[in-house]
Amino acid sequence: MNAPTAALVAPRPERLRLVGQRRQILSMMHQRLMLGMLLYAGIVAIIALRLVYLAAFGVHSGEQAGIPTLIPDRGDIIDRDGEPLARTINAWSIAVHPDKVIGDKLALAGRLAQLMPEHSEADYFAMLKSGKSFIYLQRRASPDLVQAVNAIGEPGIEIQREPVRLYPQTTLAAHVIGFSNIDGHGAYGIERAFDKQLSDPATRGAPVQLSISMKIQQALEHELSDAMTHFSALGAAGVVMDVHTGEVLAMTSLPAMNPNAPGQVTPDQMFNRATQGVYELGSTFKPFTLAMAMDSGTVRGPGQMFNCPKVLPAYGHLVHDTHPFGRMCSVAEIMMESSNIGMAQIADQLGTARQQAWLRKMGFLSPVAIELKERGRPLTPRSWGPFETMTVGFGQGIAVAPLQLAMGYATLFDGGVYHSPTILKIGPNRPLAAGRRVFTADTSYRMRSLLRLVVMRGTGRKADAPGYRVGGKTGTAQKVINGRYSQTVNITSFAGVFPMDDPRYVIVVMLDAPHATPETYGFTTAGWNVAPVVSRTVSRIAPMLGVQPDLNREPDMGEVLPYVQGAQQDTKKD
Amino acid sequence: MSVRSFHSVYMAGTVAAAALGCYLVSLRVASERAALEGVETRIVQTQSDIRMLQTEIGTRGRLDQLEQWNASALSLSAPAANQFVEDSFQLAKLAAPDHHLEVKAPVIMASAPAPRPVLGNDQSDQTAATASENSPQQLVHEASLKIEPRETPEAQAIVSPAAVKAKPAPKPLTPRATPPKSKTEPASATRATSKKPAPKLSIASAHTETKSIKLAEADPLAPLPYGGKPHAAHSQQSRDSDRRK
Repeated sequence: MNAPTAALVAPRPERLRLVGQRRQILSMMHQRLMLGMLLYAGIVAIIALRLVYLAAFGVHSGEQAGIPTLIPDRGDIIDRDGEPLARTINAWSIAVHPDKVIGDKLALAGRLAQLMPEHSEADYFAMLKSGKSFIYLQRRASPDLVQAVNAIGEPGIEIQREPVRLYPQTTLAAHVIGFSNIDGHGAYGIERAFDKQLSDPATRGAPVQLSISMKIQQALEHELSDAMTHFSALGAAGVVMDVHTGEVLAMTSLPAMNPNAPGQVTPDQMFNRATQGVYELGSTFKPFTLAMAMDSGTVRGPGQMFNCPKVLPAYGHLVHDTHPFGRMCSVAEIMMESSNIGMAQIADQLGTARQQAWLRKMGFLSPVAIELKERGRPLTPRSWGPFETMTVGFGQGIAVAPLQLAMGYATLFDGGVYHSPTILKIGPNRPLAAGRRVFTADTSYRMRSLLRLVVMRGTGRKADAPGYRVGGKTGTAQKVINGRYSQTVNITSFAGVFPMDDPRYVIVVMLDAPHATPETYGFTTAGWNVAPVVSRTVSRIAPMLGVQPDLNREPDMGEVLPYVQGAQQDTKKD
Repeated sequence: MSVRSFHSVYMAGTVAAAALGCYLVSLRVASERAALEGVETRIVQTQSDIRMLQTEIGTRGRLDQLEQWNASALSLSAPAANQFVEDSFQLAKLAAPDHHLEVKAPVIMASAPAPRPVLGNDQSDQTAATASENSPQQLVHEASLKIEPRETPEAQAIVSPAAVKAKPAPKPLTPRATPPKSKTEPASATRATSKKPAPKLSIASAHTETKSIKLAEADPLAPLPYGGKPHAAHSQQSRDSDRRK
């Protein structure tokens, strides 16, 4: 373009000056026109290029919204079978902006009081007159109510959807799942313990899978609450645990709470009796003492004899029995009849130092190792002398959580290997951690027939579930009221294992202060109130857990029956 | 700049058309992508709806509620230990029917043929006939079909015509056994039975029983010497023919 212009402005003859001037002007105009045209062409080209670029790579109407994701505002909690235990849903909430209300406030207040009668018309009017910018009228409103409020047509009323936490199973496993507060942060249970994982956008897409099984939880909770009502107990706790992995399949604490309405939960309901509460669980401790003694070599086997007088004076105190022998009795008989006198002697032979070492090894001297934050610290004797060793031997003077007791039984019957209890499902994503050996496998094996004996012939006969080979130990402890042992109020517990010929599950059940009923003949001991709960629960949950009932199978009872007086005659009679 | 021919116009047009084509392709791609995203969005929304509905169903059918329904209406309980079977053999054993041997059942004979009519008097003939009716075949019927007692005469009647066919032969022999009076009489008797029963009646009645001949008159096809049965047979046949009609 410049070339012709250059030619135009080339040397000119003198005579053509005027013509040249005209041409110069003309060429200049051409130049300007060209420049303008180039400018416009450039702008058009830029716009066109931009358009092409936008068409090819740019955002467009369909992309503006973006694909919504399924990641909830807070992660789900599911049970071991994948059933939801906690979910976040979008619920309607009704709010009002009092400063933006344009209609008649008095009429509006009247209409609101009609629709939502939890506040009076005066209250609503006061709210509308307050001049605040935002007030919640109702959260988790029902769709019908939302529709009715929307029909008022007041622009100052805002109806919005907001995420709320829903616990579909209501009270089921409430103490395990817990609840979240109004800000959406965990305040109790799993919601609290795994708050970070549940609220972090990176991890909340995957649900937290618990080891709890809803069906087993329901069976345990139902049977326990039945017993609690029947015996007018103050509270109850129950744990079902997998012996081999330490997974908690069910854990309940009664009275129940409804996590959907955390504001209405009383402190008594909120107290998790299975992990927070520590109780002197009495005779359920005896198998541990015996296992310690057998492993330490102070007791050789179930046939060893001890002198069991009616009352045993020891270290300036007297030890009593509920079913006194008043003769020589074998270790098998001591277990069967739950003799304090016999067990005190076994504990005495074991000694304080060894007892403490064993208890520490079993995890009874520290809070139970579970993911929940609501944990109680075990209570142990302040001065642990020889007499305290005796009482701890038969379960008095030491208070542990029911979950801890279940853990102890799981250790004892998993061939003596300790696995820390867990509330999360053991699976491909979370392999089983290596356990640590506490008791020898031989001791574990020998305890099977001893505990089966208790259920077959001893204090726990009512805990038997036909075909499921339940073994276990009853425990009745006097409740400490105002620092003194009550003579009338008991805490009864039962720790059971089934099937006893190949232990797979532990069940621990506890009732707090049960009352006597006519069918218990006035007794409030464990054999009368918690043992039947175990029987009913086991016959209900064992088929679900895949335990095949068999009326012809038993653990090797030949290990213990020869040492029980009268047993041989009985078998001959049979 | 200066357009001397239409060549450059064509060029420009071609380029413009190519650009437009490219643009249209890209536009098409973009719109397809947008549609795809729309579908994806709908999928996600549907999934979210499903989740919402599942939550609602799960909440309405929570275990606590089911337990209450069970307690109030269904009353289902966990199976007891003796309700489980260990293996397929035990299961099959439950389904097997009760196999009771009927000790009182009669012995079933294997195809016992009717005894041949013995040459002799009417009495022996009659006994032979009754024997053939009573013993093996009747027993077979009773064992398998359990025929009602009232039906037995008819059943016998059905059987009888077959046995009867051979009976015209013994009949003439009966007079011969008693008195050897005349040779013609028995022959006439046979003729009478075969051809004309009515005119020879008097002769036959004079020598033997009247009853049998009377019956033969009633039913020429079954000329039995004793009463009741040919009638029955006839009636049975007629009934059968009625049924066929």
